[in-house]
Amino acid sequence: MSAYGAPGGPVVHDPTTLPADDNVNAYTFCVELKGGQWFLQKGKMIAYYGAIEFNGVGHGRLDRLVRTAFHSPLHASDWVVAAGSGKMLLADRAFDVNSYDLDDGNLTIRAGNLLAFQPTLALKQSIVPGFLTLIGTGKFVAASNGPVVFLEPPIRVDPQALVGWADCPSPCHHYDHGYLTGVLGGLRAMTGLGGASGEEHQFEFVGAGTVLLQSSEALMAEVATGAVPPEVGVPGGGGTGPVGHGPQSSGAPRLPGQLGDLQRRFGL
Amino acid sequence: MFRLQGSKVLAVDMTGDAVKAKNGSMVAYDGQMAFKKLSGGGEGLRGMVTRRLTGEQMTVMEVRGQGTCWFADRASEINLVSLRGDTLHVESSNLLATDAGLRTGTTFTGLRGASQGNGLFTTTVEGHGQAAILSDGPAVVLRVSPQYPLTVDPGAYIAHQGSVRQSFQSGVTFRTLLGEGGGEAFQIRFEGDGLVYVQPSERNTIAGEV
Repeated sequence: MSAYGAPGGPVVHDPTTLPADDNVNAYTFCVELKGGQWFLQKGKMIAYYGAIEFNGVGHGRLDRLVRTAFHSPLHASDWVVAAGSGKMLLADRAFDVNSYDLDDGNLTIRAGNLLAFQPTLALKQSIVPGFLTLIGTGKFVAASNGPVVFLEPPIRVDPQALVGWADCPSPCHHYDHGYLTGVLGGLRAMTGLGGASGEEHQFEFVGAGTVLLQSSEALMAEVATGAVPPEVGVPGGGGTGPVGHGPQSSGAPRLPGQLGDLQRRFGL
Repeated sequence: MFRLQGSKVLAVDMTGDAVKAKNGSMVAYDGQMAFKKLSGGGEGLRGMVTRRLTGEQMTVMEVRGQGTCWFADRASEINLVSLRGDTLHVESSNLLATDAGLRTGTTFTGLRGASQGNGLFTTTVEGHGQAAILSDGPAVVLRVSPQYPLTVDPGAYIAHQGSVRQSFQSGVTFRTLLGEGGGEAFQIRFEGDGLVYVQPSERNTIAGEV
């Protein structure tokens, strides 16, 4: 027994008292590696006991693992593979961290919130830009600004509070249209004059599943999720669709403050 | 007598004795208190010159009186450390308050300090008494023992105490230069017998970028 850390003082952890694959406190997560591997976002390891090696996803020996568990070749540089044996502590900017178990399921999560996952899960880029999808069976660790709340659809949520969703196939935008129609409504929406509540736009989820919300509207910093191929029909791919009809495809990008919406409203 | 009120406020009960605290960190007091700025951290002229030279600057005040004084700094989490003749190594920016009986000084840390982005020098606190250190998020206290050495990310390290040796590990290879690094290119390895305090957050360091 060491002389340091007298009873009554703060809890002192060593490899035998650290939990295996569980939270140390609300902000720190402990992963136990027994010769296995974990994917983690770069720079989220704060300390480890034992012999653990960190390798970029591009490391040659990891090719097979990456092929089966990592399907986002373009953001490979943001991820590393921890391999070896020991206990490793993960944390992210003093945000709340939590682990989640997926059992032959799928979950889509904001890219900046995902910290680490077991290679039994496959990571793929979501069609929704800025989100990642995990598919399979295993454990992953995610950070959130404040504790996470689980809700069942049908539900409409604030865009800034959304962390992710599981099993819901239908995330879509919802606007409180009644509030925004007409000339006055358009002016209200654009200028905020006359009392825009800031909640006219929500995300809507229907169907069976779970929606994860954080208890704060402060977003976590965006993490590059990698570019998608510039293909026609790929959201965020930058490829322009075939020239269509109507005002939607008017070509020139709309500048902020331009009266585009009003023009459309008046049919100009 | 140091005690925590919540996790972000330090309350110190005093009966005519004194504590040294970070300048301006007092949030409230009752009773009779006198606040005196200590130039050079109360380390005398030599300490003052050393701190000026090393850039490990610390503006400290001495609080003396009867009653209770409360300290806090930017809603950071506060951790209490009790020292029994051993030495606490901490960054001066993470040190909130110490018993007046504890000696503070400056030591050279070498490459570890450089990788933390905090300069090449660190503050030492030694003697018998209590100290309060600041962290971003509650600190996790990890024991280092001969059979369990510990490796820490420089950005998450805040303090250590006891007789531990630290060595600097660099995993910089040609892969790092290609942007394929492991993300944990610099690490500090602690061996020996003591405690290491890490915070669940990483300062921005050079190491975080490679």
